[in-house]
Amino acid sequence: MSLQSDTAVGGRYESALLWVEDHLRWILTLPALAVLAAFFVYPVGRALVLSLYQFDAAGRQFVGFENYVAILTAGAFWQSLWITAKFMFFAVSFEVGLGIAIAFVLNSKVRFRGLIQTIGLVPLVISPTVVALLWQLLYQNGGVLDSLVAPLTNGPVPWLSDPSIALYALVLPDVWQMTPLVTLIVLAGLQSVPDHVQEAAMMDGAGRMRRLVDVTLPYIKELVVLVLILRVIGTMRVFAKVFVLTRGGPAKSTEVISMAMYREAFSYGNYGRASTMALLLLLIALAITYAFATVSEVEF
Amino acid sequence: MATDTQPSREVGRTLLAGVERIHETLDSYGLVPTVTNGIALLFVVWTLFPVYWMVSGSLRTRSDLLATPPKLVSTALTVENYPELFVQRPAFYEFLFNSVVVTVGSTALAVLLGTAATYGFVNYEFPYNLGRFHLPFLVLTTRFLPPIVTVIPLYVIFDTANLLNTRLGLVLAYAAFNIPFVVWMLKGFFAELPDSIVEAAVLDGHTELGAFFKIVLPMVRPGLIAATIFTVINAWNELLFAVILTSNTEAQTLPVALATFKTAYAIQWELLTVAGTIAMAPVLLFAFLVREKLLRGFTMGAVR
Repeated sequence: MSLQSDTAVGGRYESALLWVEDHLRWILTLPALAVLAAFFVYPVGRALVLSLYQFDAAGRQFVGFENYVAILTAGAFWQSLWITAKFMFFAVSFEVGLGIAIAFVLNSKVRFRGLIQTIGLVPLVISPTVVALLWQLLYQNGGVLDSLVAPLTNGPVPWLSDPSIALYALVLPDVWQMTPLVTLIVLAGLQSVPDHVQEAAMMDGAGRMRRLVDVTLPYIKELVVLVLILRVIGTMRVFAKVFVLTRGGPAKSTEVISMAMYREAFSYGNYGRASTMALLLLLIALAITYAFATVSEVEF
Repeated sequence: MATDTQPSREVGRTLLAGVERIHETLDSYGLVPTVTNGIALLFVVWTLFPVYWMVSGSLRTRSDLLATPPKLVSTALTVENYPELFVQRPAFYEFLFNSVVVTVGSTALAVLLGTAATYGFVNYEFPYNLGRFHLPFLVLTTRFLPPIVTVIPLYVIFDTANLLNTRLGLVLAYAAFNIPFVVWMLKGFFAELPDSIVEAAVLDGHTELGAFFKIVLPMVRPGLIAATIFTVINAWNELLFAVILTSNTEAQTLPVALATFKTAYAIQWELLTVAGTIAMAPVLLFAFLVREKLLRGFTMGAVR
């Protein structure tokens, strides 16, 4: 009897195993897909519903597309998009420009290159929140940056409290943190150019200039597109630095899109309007991603 | 290959020609090594100074730290600020604890689910397409979503699901955000494995699942380690989700504590530098220990 039940259990175990093997593709992927559905797809769907409501002291009321009309016709949304675009433009230009330049310098005969690469990792692994604090300390009235620029200015600079300066004072910490990313990626590309390719080009009589354009650039072109994509996406979502350093002020001069949405939802409690902004931002993000995916050869 | 538009190529050539002329001039005076090493040194100082300033600040008295003009090197170092932070703000023990729990939990979950999913995506055909987009591709596109887009509806969802202000909520949210990242980092490693490897293992008497654990996983170990490193750093550093989805010491993490440190009066810089140093130290130490893997990770996906 015991023998019989053993085989029965064994048979059930076997068939269970067979079932697992048959459905392995879904067993492997469904848990992750479920989490992603719950945290990406469902929230977007929920945002669609929320965007049709207005939230106020009386509770929520169905208002149809009023939120969309209000946001698209009022200037505040466009203003925050414009501020985000300015932040993106200055931060990405400096990060990519400086990053590539430094990569070329480090690719020439420089001492302690390995050590310098490791040092380049330092800003990249620090939390943007802490990066903001590092710079807030440097921006202190009469602090390090003030004494650095003292020969050029009369008195302390109101880095974070002057509406015409504050946005640039936010760009700087981002440039400090992310330039090494560009440098490390481009440097890795430069070092992947095989020596024999360079030598062959030299044998063919190609000058430095020719070799740079025809041999080196093809190796790093894709990488430059990649870092551009990474930084455009990265700067579009900037939040921690703004939250810590200015909270969008002074006079809303640094109110980037994520800060504007945060304020709409959590200062004014208007989740409907914030959700509407979220969906509009989603469309913009998709458009940018699609544009990059079409233009570039980079495989995601 | 996308073709270059003529103007951008022109600008590029002009720039390069300029750089080349500077290089030639320097070369004729034998100054190239001096200049390149000088720029490299400048890069190092620029990168390290802000970190040095905060760490040294944590070891100074308030008046010494905020002296005008700043004293670049202090002669009166003290460690008193460290215990003082925990005396004045005992909640920092809890912030630290929450950060550790959320980081470990979300990393474990993201790496586990992400690894399984990557293996599935790479090894099986997925018939389910949305337009011209493949299911695995859609998973990767979630990396491009600005997190603020999902976090606002997520706040409402968490509110009804009683997940607001819980460590579990943050663990799940961070895992969700890191899964696409893990898939992105691992897919190259899985794709490089020869197709025949699982077949050979099955012929040897392994089950397909057994082959996955005993043969495939050890072979993609470097990828797993890299993915884990990045997930840990992401989770430890995250602010946006934490600041929105948590409201008190039950679940708030270090970045939230740091971002909301300011009191109504003034910033207690002698304590905030301590808190900042405590938040930086683990990732910096970790980064130093795994620097080779980290370097490769940052440059991966593009170069390999």
